[in-house]
Amino acid sequence: MAIQWTTASLHDALRASELEQEGKIELLDGLDPSISIQLKDFGDLPVQINVSGEQIMVSAAMWEASQVKDRAVFNELALKLNPVNALSNVGLITIAPGRDLYVMFGELSASSELAHVIEEIRVLADNTIEAAEAFADHLV
Amino acid sequence: MSMWSKIFTMFRGAAHQAGEAVVDANSLRILDQEIRDASDALRKSRDDLTTMMAQRKLTFDKFQPKQNKIAEYVGYIEQLLTKGDEALAREVAQKLAELEGDSASDSQLIQQYDSNIDTLKKSIVQAEHTISRLKQQVDSVKATENVQRAQAALASRNSGSNAALRTATDSLERIKLKQAERSAKFDAAKEIENLGGDGDLKAKLAKAGLLEDRSSADAILARFKAKPALPAPQASAPKQLQADLHTPDV
Repeated sequence: MAIQWTTASLHDALRASELEQEGKIELLDGLDPSISIQLKDFGDLPVQINVSGEQIMVSAAMWEASQVKDRAVFNELALKLNPVNALSNVGLITIAPGRDLYVMFGELSASSELAHVIEEIRVLADNTIEAAEAFADHLV
Repeated sequence: MSMWSKIFTMFRGAAHQAGEAVVDANSLRILDQEIRDASDALRKSRDDLTTMMAQRKLTFDKFQPKQNKIAEYVGYIEQLLTKGDEALAREVAQKLAELEGDSASDSQLIQQYDSNIDTLKKSIVQAEHTISRLKQQVDSVKATENVQRAQAALASRNSGSNAALRTATDSLERIKLKQAERSAKFDAAKEIENLGGDGDLKAKLAKAGLLEDRSSADAILARFKAKPALPAPQASAPKQLQADLHTPDV
């Protein structure tokens, strides 16, 4: 019963799901491929999905660190937000030298049902947009 | 070093050079090796457990018949003593003393095995937990790295490596724009409706023949008969609709 997704098989399943009608789903191929989904309902926000071993990581870019007015203040707010908004986490990643990006992410088991993965994608996109609205005052 | 320190080490230096992997590949290899070592140790513990359980079984298999023998000898001694054959009773008692000593040491050994088996089982369960947690952490680190790479790839694909990637703020803008457009459209539609007066009045006007129902088949046919060369007007264009309501042509 337990399906164990890989990035490729999850991509195929998502393409065959109702999400296919709601935006653009593509496989960013490579040694470790990732899925990118842009849903119209969420302003075409790209959501990245990657399956690694037993974990599915769903992540979306919030904004670059350079867009934040006061990073110390923002970091504290983000940490305070995390326990309240338990479904998605806020994190910081480095995408290029000197270029940090705040991301919102969630993790699921690689044996989750497709419906749960889709739900996670929607929730994450929604949370990320909500955050953009809520933190607008802290961004340049 | 704790797991968390290791993960932090992996991210160290990530921002140093262009093109450098986000996670230090070497650290990940070290962690990989650690999992393999832990798995090997676990396998060894499992082997030890199997051996120990086999040894316990062997000892117990010897112990059980000895217990029976003891019961048997005790019976003999009782019978011999009631018969008054103390000499033979003594002989049996000597055997019994040996047996009891033997069986006591067996019993002690079994207890030791049991306690060792218990400890080993517990440590195996713990090792299994540790390994699965380590694996989960590595999966998590790898997934993060892959997602980051994807995000960086998306960023550079948007023409030029320093181009801004689409983030939540852009998407929020887009959503707001769409909402604004939608509400503008809605307002426009409302306005047109208001300009047209209420539906009741329109109906009365239509009944009086003052308002053409342009959408009915009869009206369309009539229009074609009147001006066969003219293409059908676009009903969805608000301006046209507005004009129609005020100046019913045809």
